[in-house]
Amino acid sequence: MSDKQKLFQERLARYLTALDCGKPDKVPISFSVGEWAVKYTNSTLQEVYYDIEKGNSITSQVLDETLSALDFDVFGGGISLWWPPMFDVMGSKLYKFPGISLEENSTFQYVEEEYMKADDYDEFTANPTGWLLTKYLPRISEEFSEPGSYRSCVALIKSAAAFAMANNSAAKGWESWLGQHGLVPAGTGFSKAPFDTLGDALRGMKGILLDIRRRPEKVLAACEAIIPHNIAYGMITAQGDTTFPCFMPLHRGAYPFLSLEQWMKFYWPSLKAVIEGLWAQGKRTFFFAEGDWTPYIERIAELPDKSILFIIDKTDPVKAKKVFGGRFCLYGGVPTTLLTYGKPKEVKECAKRMIDELGYDGGYVLAPGGVVMGDAKRENMLALIEAGREYGVY
Amino acid sequence: MLTTSGNEFIPEAGTCVSWKIKKDELGELPGNEEMVKKYWDMLDAFAYSFIWFWVQR
Repeated sequence: MSDKQKLFQERLARYLTALDCGKPDKVPISFSVGEWAVKYTNSTLQEVYYDIEKGNSITSQVLDETLSALDFDVFGGGISLWWPPMFDVMGSKLYKFPGISLEENSTFQYVEEEYMKADDYDEFTANPTGWLLTKYLPRISEEFSEPGSYRSCVALIKSAAAFAMANNSAAKGWESWLGQHGLVPAGTGFSKAPFDTLGDALRGMKGILLDIRRRPEKVLAACEAIIPHNIAYGMITAQGDTTFPCFMPLHRGAYPFLSLEQWMKFYWPSLKAVIEGLWAQGKRTFFFAEGDWTPYIERIAELPDKSILFIIDKTDPVKAKKVFGGRFCLYGGVPTTLLTYGKPKEVKECAKRMIDELGYDGGYVLAPGGVVMGDAKRENMLALIEAGREYGVY
Repeated sequence: MLTTSGNEFIPEAGTCVSWKIKKDELGELPGNEEMVKKYWDMLDAFAYSFIWFWVQR
């Protein structure tokens, strides 16, 4: 076994012990390379978005430099989230990307619209996959607006090919980052809360919030129809892996988008069903609860023990530890705003506090409390890792 | 509803055109069915993840 393989086994044991609410030798530390790293290079964001290899190489460079001086365990991923050419060839209306519709150092923007109309609920609910392919994709894609036409056929071929190419590049990046550095992945696979699938990309914020008042039964039926798809999507995108949690960014479920009553009726039942469906297949959920989820802690505690990894952003850490401690692993707790606006000393103090409050008996992974934004400072990211090893040895 | 070869069906979660449906159309295969099924399923899952990718942002 090589040194990197030994390191991988050590870190894997550390992470898995924490995920199972145990006390490893050290608090596992999770680190990701995001758009914040690009400003320390000569590259533009457009170059990083369009040239996946460049994005991968910057990620490798950051890992090489960081790991030569510091030690962490879990890797959350590299810079590139999406490959714009896949969207460009479809004439996609969903996003604006740097270099084509935004200036070259701007991050992407999502263009939220009611791409699914209120009248579409019944057809979508009856056959979600069929409706997405035949109705939704033509609406969001100028080049695919007339399925069967020459332009549309060509666009679909190009975009599907781009999807495969982007996935392949991402897989190669991961293989290199994990293999060469002995790191373990934070998660595998991707899924969402059914209410978010409906509210983010289909009905939009305004649409879904009107729907829960004007057509509540349609919303509930659509969420119910999405449940098996979000379980299947999570397992397919994880390629069947059940060792690591399935990443699930949660959006409209943060307080106070919905009242407790609305959350209980519209958000929670279908999300709970997806998490339980994944757990029934041995797949834990990375409950990426950005924002404040404090009012829902008791409800979330209904989930099976160890079925989630709960991220602390603005959720009350003390209450979360009191209710979830020993049942769900906790992750995060260091505000992303602190990584942007704070100083290394403040980051270290915060990390120490989180280790003391959340990790004193295990079941905790030190990490930022959300997606680290492009304006975060490198010295703060490094301070987080330093604090983890300074204060996080049991 | 989608139509294929005159048969209407609603694809199950995780599939676009499941092997079961295709197998009914193909009937008995003269060679190794498992091999054909394996790659059918792999590419069907790819198509499924492509379709759902657009709403799983």
